[in-house]
This record gives sequence, C-alpha cells and structure tokens, in this order.
Amino acid sequence: MRGERDVIPPGTLEMLILTTLASGPAKHGFEVAESILSVSDDVLQVEEGSLYPALQRMLLKGWIRGDWGKTEENRRARFYRLTAEGRKQLEREVERYRRVARAIARVLATA
Amino acid sequence: MGLSEWGRRLARIFDRDREAAGLAEEMRLHVELRARQLQERGLAPEEAGYAARRRFGNPLAVHDSSAGVWGWNTWERLVQDFSHALRSLSKTPGFTAIAVATLAAGLGMNTAVFSVVNAVMLRRLPYPNPGRLVSLWEEQIKPDRENFNSSGTQAGTAGSLLRTTVSVANIADYAGSGAFAAVASYDRQAANLTGLGTPERIAGEAVTAGFFEVLGVAPVLGRTFTADDDRPGAPLVVVLTHDFWMERLGGDPEALGREVMLDGAPYRVVGVLPARFRSPLQVAYAEDAAEFFVPAAYPKSQLAARGDHDVNVVARLRPGITVAAAQAALETVSAALQKQFPPTNGNFRAVIAPLADDLVHKASGPLWILLAASGLIVLITCVNMADLMLVRAVRRRHESSVRMALGAGRSGLVRQYLAESLVIAAGGCAAGIAVGLVLMKELVAMAPSETPRLAEVSMDWRVFGVAAAVATLTGLAFGLVPAWQASRAQAAEALKTAARGSGTKSQARWRAALTTAEISLSLMLLVGAGLLLRSFMVAMGVDLGFRTERVLAMKIKLPELRYKTADARFAFFRELEERVKPLPGVEAVAFANRMPMRGGWSTGVSVDTAPDQQLDVAAQAISTGYFDTLEIPLLRGRFFTAGDGADAPPVAIVNREFARRYMQDRDPVARRIQRGTNWCRIVGEVNDIRRRGKLDRITPQVYFPAAQTAQYPVLLADLAVRTAGDPRRLVNAIQRQVWALDPDQPVTDVHTMEEIVGELVAENRFEMVLLLVFAGVAVLLATTGMFGVLSYLVSQRTSELGIRVALGASPWRIVMLVLRQAGTWIATGLGLGVAGALALTYYLQALLFQVKRTDPWSYAGAVALLTAVSVAAALIPARRGAKVDPLTALRYE
Repeated sequence: MRGERDVIPPGTLEMLILTTLASGPAKHGFEVAESILSVSDDVLQVEEGSLYPALQRMLLKGWIRGDWGKTEENRRARFYRLTAEGRKQLEREVERYRRVARAIARVLATA
Repeated sequence: MGLSEWGRRLARIFDRDREAAGLAEEMRLHVELRARQLQERGLAPEEAGYAARRRFGNPLAVHDSSAGVWGWNTWERLVQDFSHALRSLSKTPGFTAIAVATLAAGLGMNTAVFSVVNAVMLRRLPYPNPGRLVSLWEEQIKPDRENFNSSGTQAGTAGSLLRTTVSVANIADYAGSGAFAAVASYDRQAANLTGLGTPERIAGEAVTAGFFEVLGVAPVLGRTFTADDDRPGAPLVVVLTHDFWMERLGGDPEALGREVMLDGAPYRVVGVLPARFRSPLQVAYAEDAAEFFVPAAYPKSQLAARGDHDVNVVARLRPGITVAAAQAALETVSAALQKQFPPTNGNFRAVIAPLADDLVHKASGPLWILLAASGLIVLITCVNMADLMLVRAVRRRHESSVRMALGAGRSGLVRQYLAESLVIAAGGCAAGIAVGLVLMKELVAMAPSETPRLAEVSMDWRVFGVAAAVATLTGLAFGLVPAWQASRAQAAEALKTAARGSGTKSQARWRAALTTAEISLSLMLLVGAGLLLRSFMVAMGVDLGFRTERVLAMKIKLPELRYKTADARFAFFRELEERVKPLPGVEAVAFANRMPMRGGWSTGVSVDTAPDQQLDVAAQAISTGYFDTLEIPLLRGRFFTAGDGADAPPVAIVNREFARRYMQDRDPVARRIQRGTNWCRIVGEVNDIRRRGKLDRITPQVYFPAAQTAQYPVLLADLAVRTAGDPRRLVNAIQRQVWALDPDQPVTDVHTMEEIVGELVAENRFEMVLLLVFAGVAVLLATTGMFGVLSYLVSQRTSELGIRVALGASPWRIVMLVLRQAGTWIATGLGLGVAGALALTYYLQALLFQVKRTDPWSYAGAVALLTAVSVAAALIPARRGAKVDPLTALRYE
C-alpha cells in the first residue's frame, strides 16, 4: 500500500531536524516530522516517539528556540526555529556527515 | 555542558509544571493532526485516531523521556519512590517494627563494638603529628643465651617475646643513628606523697628532658624540663598533671615554685600539664594514674651499664624518614654495638614500631575478633531481613503483578523494593545507633580495665559513618533479593498465581538458601563462644597452687631516701610482722618483694652442675612465714627459718619446675645455685604455683630469705596476712600498725587475693560473654528464620498435605515429610558452619587457654545445640502440617 520506508539512522535525527528548520518559516513538531518525510520523498519516517525528546534536548543545548503561537486553525502550538548556535551546529554536523559518507562510499567502491 | 545550558535546565525545575503542560499540549496536537491527516486519506474517524495513537506510541513514555532530557527525572523519581515506600511501610506497622528492631539489634552490636575498636585502635594518639612518633625497644636475638637485668614497665607490647625495655646507656647511640629528630625515655616511678593531707603513695613517671618536646606537649603553666634539670644532683623539680594541680593544690595560681614532698624530699613545682594530657603509659594502661613527672637524671653508673634494660623509649622521626628507613639505620647501630660490647650488646638489637600500634597492640587481637563476630551478626541480620522482605514480596505479588500489567517497568519495581529496604535501613540505622550507645557503655563497663584508651571510647563521626555505611549496604543487600525476584516475575503468570498467595519455586529456593546461610553463620559464632567458654572453664578449674581465700595483701613501698639500706627495710618489715601477728583474727603474716599476682621479677642464676649456663628464673625474696601464709606445700628439705639470717650462709628454695627442668628432676636439696657472685645452698623444694594467675604457665622459680636481701638486693614491698574471718575487717588495724612505725608511710594496693583472682578472670570473661551473647542472638535469628520459612512452606503445601492425610498418611509421616526438608537445610548449614568455624577459629587460638581450636567438645556442643533448637523450630510448623484437615484443605484449593 505504501512504499518502502526507512527508519532514520541513529545520530542523524538532530541533523535532519536542524536542516528542516534551517529554511522556511518556524515549524511545530508535527510539521517537522512531515517535512522530513516529504523532503526525503517519503523515505525517512521520523520515529514520532523520539522526536519530542530530541526537540527538548536541542532546546536545552540552545540550538533551537521554541515560541508559542497559533496554527492556521488557531490551535496553540510551539514553533521551533534555528538559533545562531544551531546554525553552526548544523554546519558541523553536515560536515561530519559528509566526511563519514565519503569514507563509507570509498570503502564500498573498493568492494 | 555550558553555563547557559545549566541555566535553561534550572529554569525547567522552577517552571516544570508549565513546561510539562506545554509538552503535553504539543504532543496532543501532534496526534490530532496525524489523525486528521489519516482521516483525510480515507480512514474512518475512530480508526484514524487509533492509528495515530499507535504510531505516536505511549504518550506517557514519550512525555517521560522528553521531560527526562531536563535531567530532573531521577531526582523526582527518587522522591516518589521513597514517599511511596514510606506510605506502604506505614501500612504494615508490624512488619516495619520487626524489621527495624532486627536491624537495630544487629547494627547496635556492631556499632558498639566498633566504637570501642575506633577509640582503642583507630583514633589518632593525643599528640600533634602522632604518625611520626615511634616506640623503640630492644630484643634478644637468641633467647636464653645471655643473662641480663631487666626492669621497668613496658609501655607497649608489640614485637616478639624476646622484647625488653631499653638500656639507658644505648639510647645515645640510637639517637645518633640520624633517623630521629628527638629521642626521650621514660618509666614509671611511684612516690610517697606527704605534707598534703594523709600520706599517700602516688604514681608518676621519671622522664628525660626531651620527653614533652618529643610528644609535642606544652605546659599550661610554667615550663617542662631542661637538660640542666635532668642531671644527677640537680635541684629537685617536678611537673604536675592538671589533676594533681586542681585536686591536691586546689588549682593554686601560685603553684609554680611551691614545694611538694615526694619520698620525703622537697620537689619544686616548675610546670603544670594540660588537662587532656596523657602519657604513652597512660594511653597503654587505661588505669594508670600518673600524677607527676620528675627528671630521670640517670646516674653515671646506669649510663654505663649497657646490660641493664630499664626504660621505655619514644622518638620522633626526622622529617622525610620512614619507619622502615629508621629501622634500617638502627640495624647498623645495633650491629656496631654488638661488635663493640659483645658481653652486654652481643645478643640485642633495637626495634621500632609506630607508637600507636605499639601501645594498643595487646588489645587488638581480642577486639578484631569481637568486631569480626559482630560482623557475622550483621550478616545474619541481613539474611534475616532478606527473608522478611521475601515474605513481604510474596504477600504483595498481586500488587506487583497488577502494577506490571499496568505498564510499570521492571526497574520501577526493583527501585520500589530497594527504596523500602533503604527506608527500613535508615530507621534501623537510627535505632541501631541508639542501641549501640547503650551497649557501648555496657562494653566499657565490662571490658578489662587494662584495655588501652578505654576512657576515650565514645561515638564520633567515624562511628556514625560506619553505622550509616553498614546500614546502607545491608539495606541494599537485603533489598536486592526480593527486588531481583520481583523483576523476574511475569505479569501474566504472577496474576494467575497471585490469588493463592503463594510464592514461586525460586522464592522457596532462595529462602531455603538464606536459612542455610543463617544456620552456618550461627554455628560459627556458637563454636567460637563454645571454645572461649571451654577455655574459661578449664582456666577456672586450674589450681593456683597457693591459698587465696581470706588472704589480704597490701603494698608498703619504703622510700629509699629514708630507708637507705636493705637491712633498714628488712628491720621495718620484721617489726611490722611482730606487731601484726598478735592482732585478733590474724592466722599468719608474711612479707616479700611481691606476693603472687602482684607482679615480681626474674633474675639470672646458674646451677652448680652447669655454672656457665645462665638461667632466667622468677626470683622472690620472702619472709619465713611466706609458705605458711600462702599454704604452699613443702616437697623436700625445709622452709626458711629464723636461723637463715643476714650472717648465716646464703640459702635458697626452688620450686618443683626448677628441679624438673634444671636438675634432671633429681633432689635439689644440698645442691647450689649462683646469683651474681653469691653461691646459695638449696635447702628445700616447694610445690609449683601459677604466680600470675590461672592463665599463667608454670615456670622455674627461686626463693631467697628476705633476711639475706642485703646479699642479693631485692626491694621488699608486699605484706600478706591470712585471717580467720573477713580479711577486709583487718585493713584499718594493720594500717594503724604501719603508722605507729612511721606516720608518713602510706599503704597502697590493698586487695584480697580473691579480688585479684576475680579481676584476672574478668579479663577473659569479657570476650567470652560477648561471644556468647552474639551467638545467642545469632541462634535466635536463625531459628526464627527457620520457623518462618517452614511455616510458609507448610501453608503453601496445605492442599497437598490434606490430600495425603485423606489418602491415609499418618500424622507422623507428615511431620517427617516436613522435617526431612528442614533436615536438608540444617545439615547443609551445619556442614558449612563447621568448615567456616575451622577456618575462622584460627584467629581465636591466641585467646584460648589449654583448649585446642579444634576442640571436638566445642564443635559437638555447638552442633548439638543448634540442631536441637532448629529442629524444635521446625517441629511447630511440621505438627501444624500434620493437623491439616483434608476437607478444609481441599476447599481452600
């Protein structure tokens, strides 16, 4: 009924959230999950149970900030956006991820 | 973790309710939006809601782990666990009271024993930087080869049996080893105090000039000694203790410069010591009441006599030098002295040990054993508590399984059990310290008075710390078994069986193992107590060899200044004897240097058949009435008579052991022994006595007539009187006769021989009584444990037993059925216990008198007693099992 979906590899959830929040308007939790799913062409499904702990962790670290506002249907929701610190962290994570991916690709290429 | 992050974390505890509400709202929105999305994709509204919730997972868990990020969960859960534990414990006050009481008993004993151990062995000595103080003594390298003279009271007891006090002449050489910053020597010195009320003999010490500097003690008034004071012929000066100053001089602020009459000579007071000052001898002997300190001022002759070992030495290590390095330096010095002075130093070496170790050495063995025994009690308490907790866990299986079915995590259940255990442990700890305080006072009152530092026993932070640590550890230990049990439970299975209120097989196994452990631990304590009891009874049955009933002894130490010659002292005692003899109620009178059990010393002699061989034997100078007064039987020859006077040929009497060991068990009469340059003819052989009390070995002994003491000077000091009635009634009459002869002469150490025997016995009774009490408590705990487990098992097997009865099993068979199960545990426990006891009693051997640590009677007695008691405990539930009514039992099912 639905296509093959992969669970997000461990350790990358925070990077994906940061990426999602880096562009466009501030998003609330559900939008973050949906955005990751749609941007990845419905491949990456966020484990919804782990989304909120991750958001709390990132709030504490100061990478994102959450402001209460209203949705289109006038529901109260917390909208997350990136902080300057979060932007730096994103760069670091992406750089690290690329490094690892390149290395893995090289290993695979020799196989 | 950055500062700002901590700030955000902190903000979340202060605002945690709002934060939690916000989080919940976010999650609710998420699920709603998901449900709407699914509904839009065609799912029925109800189904969409389920699907959204399924996909989101357990919202409580998500909330918990999200809020867990804040880092305050653990703390909050802890508070929750403990308040829950408190609530559930208060719902079962009976259980809680029993648990806390059991723990308080075990911990109380342990705390009391530890407070004594702490004061005696662990607390620092009352001197600045005490770790740098060492005790120095001399040891013979080979025993019995060389004759030497030794006197003085050993302050410490560490080291080998060949230990002696130090020769004053050698001290300068040891000080020159470079290992010490300062060295001082000291010894007991009593004196007759006159001029301040009734004449009294008081205890003091003779110390070298550096004594107080080595210890690091400054006087509160005046000064201590200088090198000028510490010289023969220097003006007589004295430093007083605070007690002397306060009690005898009324705290006179003008005390400095006053004169105090000691042994008839005026001593000028130059200093007063602080109130809490205790000399090393006082630390080592709690009953030592030194009140004054005088300069040792060793005479030239003593400073030259390397063969006389008379004093104790304390030294402060030079900074940076370890005990081992100092010992190495001393070995070099000893080796040089051995070469330089072979006759006196050839067989000696100097040894040091930390002062603290040396002073408390004699008490450490028994105390460690008591501590170990009280540790066993804690272990048994712990096992008993684990058992109690298991019973409780079984009763609460239903609660646990419901909680589990409702989604409580395993770790939650484990935490809850542990929290309950810890709450009980905390209560037990507080109650245990209270019990410990009471027991500690009892212990101190009961302990032998010669235990070092007994007066310092109190509870301090270390005692409290250990009590808290032991309580926490036991709490964790006895909480762990039921917690582990609970965590293994399967919710569904537990719900099924919970209704019947029975436990699982594994729980029964656990409880059986705990009971077995209790029995084995109790057996170890019982064997230890039994061995001490046997040893005590053997010691009680020992014949001292002399009479103690209705014999009164007292010390009359004549000051040498007034009674300058041995003849003058002898004349005083002769005169006193003549005055006391006709007093009504007096049967016999004797005097000697020391009566039995009141000290004494040994001397070097040789026998005519082997004049080169020096023998170290106990020597006493005695009056003619000595053997008659103490009723020591004559075996051969004759007693001393008035004819053995100062001008008569020197004579001696030996004991049976002397003849046996040194004269090939042949008749010693008419043989000769040499002491110094005197040859004495042996005129008699008397029966052996145990001079130092019931635990003393029988040693070779020589008696010389007091009338001939000028030839081999021995200071006369003790008077003994055998009476017809109560000896105590004669004390005043005898004292009056002493004062009629010399109004300044005090009489001290007035005791009946029976009192002294009682005191010596008390020393051994201490460990025995304690171990007996420990063993009793252990047996009580073990049997109640046994009783509890069996009762539980019988109630669990009610239906089975009912069926058996219905099928015609006789009550006897049912009883045997239950007993057989108990028998396995008892037998296993006893086996393990015997093995443990065989291993542990190794440490008890030193306390045993003429009883081997493998003494079969003690083991058999302990095994028999424990078997009887535990079988009796098992019989009650077994009989209940036999009385099961088959109908009720089946209906119960």
